[in-house]
Amino acid sequence: MPETKELARHRRERIWMWIQLMPVMTVLVVLFGGALVLGVAQSLGFAPWFGVNTFPDFSYFAALWGDVFFWKSLGLTLYYAIVATLLSLVFGILLALALVRTFPSKTLYKYLYKLPLMIPYTVGIALAVIMLGNGGMLSRLMAFTGFIDDPSQFPQILKTHMGWGIIAVYVWKQTPFVALTIYAVLLGVGRETEEAAAILGANKRQIFFQVTLPQILPGIISSTLIIFAFNIGAFEAPFILGGGFPDTLPVVAWRYFNDADYTLQLQGMATVVSIALVAGVILYSYLAFYRRYERRIGRN
Amino acid sequence: MTAVQLKGVRKDFGNFTAISNIDLDIKSGELVALLGPSGCGKTTTLRMIAGLEVPSAGQICFDGEDVSEVAVQKRNVGMVFQRYALFPHMTVEKNVMFGLKVRGIDKADIDKRLTEILDVVQLQDFRHRFPAQLSGGQMQRVAIARTLITNPSVLMMDEPLANLDTKLRGEMRRFIRELQQRLGITTIFVTHDQIEAMELADRVAVIFDGNLAQYDAPDALYKRPNSIEIADFMGATNVFEASISGKTATAVFGALTLQDTVPDGQAQLMLRGEAIDLHLDEITDEPNILQGKITAREFFGANITYSVECGGETIQVIEQSRRMVEIDQPVWLTIPPERIWIIQDNP
Ligand SMILES: Nc1ncnc2c1ncn2[C@@H]1O[C@H](COP(=O)(O)OP(=O)(O)O)[C@@H](O)[C@H]1O
Ligand SMILES: [Mg+2]
Repeated sequence: MPETKELARHRRERIWMWIQLMPVMTVLVVLFGGALVLGVAQSLGFAPWFGVNTFPDFSYFAALWGDVFFWKSLGLTLYYAIVATLLSLVFGILLALALVRTFPSKTLYKYLYKLPLMIPYTVGIALAVIMLGNGGMLSRLMAFTGFIDDPSQFPQILKTHMGWGIIAVYVWKQTPFVALTIYAVLLGVGRETEEAAAILGANKRQIFFQVTLPQILPGIISSTLIIFAFNIGAFEAPFILGGGFPDTLPVVAWRYFNDADYTLQLQGMATVVSIALVAGVILYSYLAFYRRYERRIGRN
Repeated sequence: MTAVQLKGVRKDFGNFTAISNIDLDIKSGELVALLGPSGCGKTTTLRMIAGLEVPSAGQICFDGEDVSEVAVQKRNVGMVFQRYALFPHMTVEKNVMFGLKVRGIDKADIDKRLTEILDVVQLQDFRHRFPAQLSGGQMQRVAIARTLITNPSVLMMDEPLANLDTKLRGEMRRFIRELQQRLGITTIFVTHDQIEAMELADRVAVIFDGNLAQYDAPDALYKRPNSIEIADFMGATNVFEASISGKTATAVFGALTLQDTVPDGQAQLMLRGEAIDLHLDEITDEPNILQGKITAREFFGANITYSVECGGETIQVIEQSRRMVEIDQPVWLTIPPERIWIIQDNP
């Protein structure tokens, strides 16, 4: 008999837990899940409000994936996202490592480095235009100091498919984010394992790769996921600073959505779903890879 | 093995002085305890010897050679951290092998020494576990093994017994002592517990407020502390004001005869409770007889502490619990002259 009581109590607790989760769940399921289902359905030809309903219809994907420019756009999207993510990671980790050491006026730096986090992306993009463009501050400065004869000779940084401007804005914004995350992890890890390693005879490189890096890896993984997912879907920076056609996928989707021919909306939705698929596959493989590493060192 | 010397070592953190001035001479193969209350600078001293902190002034010498310029990696010291500082992402065997791997020792050699050292610390069965899956005592043995496998010339341990429960502490203490004797390795350990220091160390360096207060063998420290603070820290309970004249010390409860002459004047007189004999019948034929009455009794299993009131002062007497003397019983105390210690104002 006492067992029945115990079960009843557990059931009550479980029900209470579900009630507490309800508000969040509702928002997630209705808004996010609903939008997702609708988006996928639309990309497959379900849009009665435009007078289109050919569901299920894979022709939008076929048209998209059959176009060589889709693959070029995908390549550009991945290129900007990956390069920016890698650079932000390297700079962010270096910054975090510097911040845990003591040095003069450290408090000032601890405020300064977070500044880009508080400035909106669009302001960052505007800054890039002002600083890096032909006729921008840098080009004028170089012309003024005599490195180049005329501001127009300044190397093209913005509006090329190399995407230095886009990458610069991403890195400028995301380095502090990575640094903030890794810094917090480093504070939790403490200096003692590094000191123990040094006493045991490890040099700086061995300490970083064998002792520090494995311990901050969870922080690196989570910040990578967040910034990569953002970079692959970001729209403003490639739209303003990019090199024009072929555009990155989010820009392509935007163009479809804004086309006078509103049936192209379905094509746009197929593009968005493609981005989500690609991002999902990449992030999932990345996580699976990390799990494999964890298992290899014997952690479960 | 290696002798360690600290010469006029000082350490400032900003404008806070953690260590004022320490001179310390540790002989090769000696087991020395750094003893002092929390915050007195014990860990800082160890870290300077290891090379993790740079002294603000003074020299640290190994076998007479200044090692100030020698990097941590090259000092060949071993350190067991207070919270062990094991690598949480490595198994026990990877932790232990670390020091040899980074030195580029070849695989066969590493495996041989790993097996040896895991036998010494009795962790063969745990070699594939992670630190998070070990008890405190096991983690500590991993930390010791990880250090010993590199054959350090000086072994340092920061509060090695503080985080263990009572039973494990005794075990670990014997383990450390035996290991140290077998390997003959110069060992410095930190503790805030005077009993632990006395039980383990050949010599004890008492540190107060960043200064070396006394550096002596345990029994000397216990019987002949050179200041009231040390007597207090070493658990002395019977300390009384006395005036000295020749070989006689006069306190509130009466005059006691000393063995040696000390300078005349005011002083503190220290009696160790276990050096006082308690008699139930009147005694007349011994020096230093005090008459009193038992006012309290504390039972500690093997020992009993009696509070005896003698001429307005209370003297604590410790006796093995072979008998129980009742409260209010009149008693006679006798104190051997050689067990009376006089502490005079800083000479
Ligand atoms: N890195 C540091 N910066 C500033 N003060 C420190 C630092 N390390 C230790 N101290 C201070 O120095 C004093 C001695 O510390 P420590 O050697 O750790 O004492 P303990 O004897 O308890 O081991 C303490 O007051 C401590 O706050
Ligand atoms: Mg300490």
